[in-house]
Amino acid sequence: MKNILVKIIENIKLNDDYFLLWIHAPEISKSISSGQFFEIKIAGNNFPLLRKPISVFEVKNENVGFMIKKIGRGTENFSHLKKNDVLDIIGPLGNSFELPSQKEVLLISGGIGYAPLHNLKKELLSNNNNVTWIHGGRSTNDIFSSDFTFTDDGSSGQKGFVTIGMEEILLKKKFDLIYCCGPKIMMKKCSEIAKKFHTKMFVSLEEYMACGIGVCHGCAVAIKKNDSFTYKTVCKDGPIFNSNEVIWNE
Amino acid sequence: MNRLKTKLGKLELKNPITVASGTFGVENNNFIDFNSLGAIVSKTITKNEKIGNPPPRLYETSNGLLNSIGLQNPGLKGFIENVLPKYATYETPFIVSFSGSTIDEFSEILLELEKYDSISGYEVNVSCPNVENEGIAFGTDPKIVYKLTKQLASQTDKELIIKLTPNVTDIVSIAKAAEDAGANSLALINTLLGMSIDWKSGKSHIRRGIAGYSGPAIKPVAIQNVYRVSSNVKIPILAMGGVSNWKDALEFFYAGANVVAIGTYNFVNPKITIETIDNLNRHFLSRNQNLTEIIGKINGIN
Repeated sequence: MKNILVKIIENIKLNDDYFLLWIHAPEISKSISSGQFFEIKIAGNNFPLLRKPISVFEVKNENVGFMIKKIGRGTENFSHLKKNDVLDIIGPLGNSFELPSQKEVLLISGGIGYAPLHNLKKELLSNNNNVTWIHGGRSTNDIFSSDFTFTDDGSSGQKGFVTIGMEEILLKKKFDLIYCCGPKIMMKKCSEIAKKFHTKMFVSLEEYMACGIGVCHGCAVAIKKNDSFTYKTVCKDGPIFNSNEVIWNE
Repeated sequence: MNRLKTKLGKLELKNPITVASGTFGVENNNFIDFNSLGAIVSKTITKNEKIGNPPPRLYETSNGLLNSIGLQNPGLKGFIENVLPKYATYETPFIVSFSGSTIDEFSEILLELEKYDSISGYEVNVSCPNVENEGIAFGTDPKIVYKLTKQLASQTDKELIIKLTPNVTDIVSIAKAAEDAGANSLALINTLLGMSIDWKSGKSHIRRGIAGYSGPAIKPVAIQNVYRVSSNVKIPILAMGGVSNWKDALEFFYAGANVVAIGTYNFVNPKITIETIDNLNRHFLSRNQNLTEIIGKINGIN
């Protein structure tokens, strides 16, 4: 991991809620694995105080793309960034998705959970896997390119949750691996379904985060340990965990 | 000539900047050279491993941070086996922060830590509940602070720092109790207490409700505490509370601090300690002054 200043090369507005921030970062672009994230802030701007943990959406040679949803002051500020503005970033951080070859892989995402799976899909395909992607969101703004689409309000794709699509497809087809990222409640349901179908699933978790490097223990998640549990950090032990190890109700 | 030299009790430090317990770890060596720091303070350790509090543990407020980590740590044994060796290679003094739930437990931890030469001193975290005294924090009762400090002071020749909580009626009486009992220096302030609630749902942003409150927002409170304590004790002060740059550090020195720790701001800027040292150095060079000349030299108060 490094703490460096990088320039914005493009800020693409996807819709009113989402945007795609591209940075030029030759020092770190080669060392990124799918599933990892960066702790990001605008250089010289210390409000809000804490950096925002943002997953890598895509790596293209020396450029790194972050897909971001506006959810608070920090992400709102990022949405106004322009070409040549400077970001202060720490990363790449956290563990990464296990990258298989020649497997049937199912991707499931909800809302901004789409972001980390995008780069993963690219890597899975170049590693000779077959990939099927189910994506869902509240409404049309939350929808991005995938094989099956669900919205809560029915404004895009099928009306309902991604869990419907997940059950349907698992009944028809055998998958070797599932990768999942989205709201906690969605990941919890998906984890139950994956268990029912005896399919290994990895989830990318999120928690309120401060340091990003495993020092402050702020971003704790309950993970099974023997007959009990312990708290692990999303930033260092994660963000990727085997869904069977996560205690969803804690 | 080194203009930043300072002393913290028995420790001679090459510069006055260290880190606040719990905001810094071995991972920070990705960003800075540990040998450049004045000292390093560990995260608080306890006798047994603690898994900590349930999440959410953090919430950012206006220029401040609420935290409710619950002293998550690997325990004394885990610390000695896995953490301590990683700091042993640095020449910078390493200070171990520890806590206990009874005076005997503090005493037992100190005895064990005394076996390791790589430890230069101890920062005693007295903000935790005392199970022998209805769970009231050790640090809120001058008599208990006296008893605890006296016990620990008799067990070590290394730097013994008592870390004071600001969540008391009269911090000076606690500071004096620690001094009288043989503390070599005082660290202050530990986090204030705070809460934050989601106005839409009425739900606490922190799972355990009451949390520790840190960050730039608490700086004036910290300075005031340092000023009051330093005016009433003779032993040196390791000050912390909202320091985010070298100018903040200078305020603390004028208020009476001999050493300053940076905490929450390590999360904002992982190079903040080194930048602060460099800027302080430049400042004192340009003024042809030494740090020690300004400690406690606040003026303008009538």
